[in-house]
Amino acid sequence: MPSPKPALLWLLNKEWRELLASRAWWVFLLLMGPLVGVSFISAVNTYAEASGLGGTSTGVGEAFSPLVGIWAPTFSACELAAAFLLPFVAIRLVAGDRQSGALKLELQHRMPALTRIAAKALVLMLGWLIALLAPLAAVVLWKSYGGSIYSPELMTVVLGHLLNAGLTIALACTAASVTEHPATAAILTLAITVGSWIVNFIAAVHGGMWERIAGYTPTAMVAQFQHGLVRLDVLLIAVTLILAGLTLAAVWIRLGVAVRRRVDESVAVVVIAATVVFSCASLRPSWDLSENRMNSFSRADELALRQIHAPLRIEVHLAPEDPRRVDLEHRALSKLRRIMPQARVEYLSATSIGLFEQTSAHYGEIWYELDGRREMNRATTPEAVLETIYALAAVTPPESDSEFRGHPLAVRPRGAALVFYGIWPALIVVLGFLTQRRHL
Amino acid sequence: MKPLLQVNNLTKRYGRLTAVDQVSFSVREGEILGLIGPNGAGKTTVFESLGGVLPADQLEISHEGRPLGMAGLNSILFYLPDAITPWPSQTVNWALDFTVGLFGGRADLREDVVRRLELASLLDRSMGKLSKGQRKRALLALGVLAPQPVLMADEPFEGLDLRQTREVASALRSYAGEGKRTMVLSIHQIADAARVCDRFVLLSGGKLCGEGTLAELSALAAARSSNASPTGLEEVFLALT
Repeated sequence: MPSPKPALLWLLNKEWRELLASRAWWVFLLLMGPLVGVSFISAVNTYAEASGLGGTSTGVGEAFSPLVGIWAPTFSACELAAAFLLPFVAIRLVAGDRQSGALKLELQHRMPALTRIAAKALVLMLGWLIALLAPLAAVVLWKSYGGSIYSPELMTVVLGHLLNAGLTIALACTAASVTEHPATAAILTLAITVGSWIVNFIAAVHGGMWERIAGYTPTAMVAQFQHGLVRLDVLLIAVTLILAGLTLAAVWIRLGVAVRRRVDESVAVVVIAATVVFSCASLRPSWDLSENRMNSFSRADELALRQIHAPLRIEVHLAPEDPRRVDLEHRALSKLRRIMPQARVEYLSATSIGLFEQTSAHYGEIWYELDGRREMNRATTPEAVLETIYALAAVTPPESDSEFRGHPLAVRPRGAALVFYGIWPALIVVLGFLTQRRHL
Repeated sequence: MKPLLQVNNLTKRYGRLTAVDQVSFSVREGEILGLIGPNGAGKTTVFESLGGVLPADQLEISHEGRPLGMAGLNSILFYLPDAITPWPSQTVNWALDFTVGLFGGRADLREDVVRRLELASLLDRSMGKLSKGQRKRALLALGVLAPQPVLMADEPFEGLDLRQTREVASALRSYAGEGKRTMVLSIHQIADAARVCDRFVLLSGGKLCGEGTLAELSALAAARSSNASPTGLEEVFLALT
């Protein structure tokens, strides 16, 4: 006799059972171990060599941070899984109901369609959390080697991958609801994923507005979290896109509603989401949670920069694909924007590569303008940028106060191969077999 | 006496094709109403429109004389589609529990339904591994356990052999009746319909050809033709369509 639990719990129970019965999910889990294993073992070996193992000069690894050296590459396996494996699990869970006819029965319960989709998304997120046990095993192994763990930066990386998974789930749910067949949904999801990579490519070539848009693609978003940076605009835009995707899925999962009405509702959802995204894009608060403050200038420099209140304008004569521009942006200007949100940076170039502009007299110049004073410098290092700004603002450069000394660790990844290539797959196969036998 | 449900002017078009054209009929409390028609007559379209699976171009429904929207209809009517295999990975036992649990269905009928539809030996089998006839019986069990007062089942005897058809028809009859369950069944086998239904709605080419008991339809057929009054449902159907 079934227990008198609320309808939502019955639905969650059903989605969970369907996930357990899904071979796609078990295959996804099975592959997570080796994927994480390859990344982790390679990262630990490289880290060890840089830290002095095998004859490398001792001391090179002192600047090393586990965030960049270990967690970013190890968790990059999750990015791969989110792009190529998770969508199929999500599509199976959503499209399966339509294919089997279960949707025709379930929709006769007067539960809002958004609740149904939310139940699927919750269960899929739980499935993703279980898959994250693989990188968690890497954390345990790293700790057992005597490696340093700085929780805020590690949690930031995990948060980034949770949001990325949320985006993938929302996208796959939408695709599975809009299309009639799971294969079409899979093609649509992959097309959008590849489309976001194309946006990144165009941004790298053309810069400008494309660069701004590319900052919110899943790849760029994950990259920021992997560097320990939490930006409020990115966080809110990701949550907005997840909610918009799930709402669109809810609009299209209903069967007895005319297509015209569903199109109208979809347009309304897109317009509202675009308005929220546009509003959030102007938010500037951000938090650098990396132990080595890799997204920030030193505290002393930040204090000195905060004393400058006049509007700063920087004119950069470098093409989008010029490595100097990439260097300047990542190592100096992105840090400057965090501490001086009023600073305006303008990139000027006639071509995307910059190779044929080298003969131009002004190419490579970086002009700084503060309170009517102008100065030009061609150097792209953070030190040079700060020096020029201090000179313009007549501020005395502070003493360097870098506290981070790095966490070198010269050990081989003992036991990692056994865990990720042996124990993990064996455990998944046994659990999968037992679970499917129990439920079928 | 007002009908339990009154369906008026149901119309469904697919582009230029009108699949169901201005169909109106009533459903009385406790009866088994048979929607009869050949393949392509529009029976499933009528059911899917009423079940909220297809958006109708025109549809007016009233419940005991009061107008009813689609949301309200879901609390009155449970639609059981044909040719579906819901939750193929889950067992029959779980599917029955789920239907009772999700919809707040008739838990008191569960044991009786399992016995009468001969599901006891299938309870631990997954829905996706049932034969066509077994699956049909399991689906009918889900429909009977649903809490709505009207059960609308599309082709409930499809895939059943003669003996099973008779037993299922007998079971459905026992669940229908005054103060019990009202059933609307779509049936293309006229002999099956004659065996189980109290009244009939005849459909052909998406249009309503007649509605009533066998006697009423026979009289209608006689009035429309100069021949002798047809007695069997098959003759009535041929005369009216």
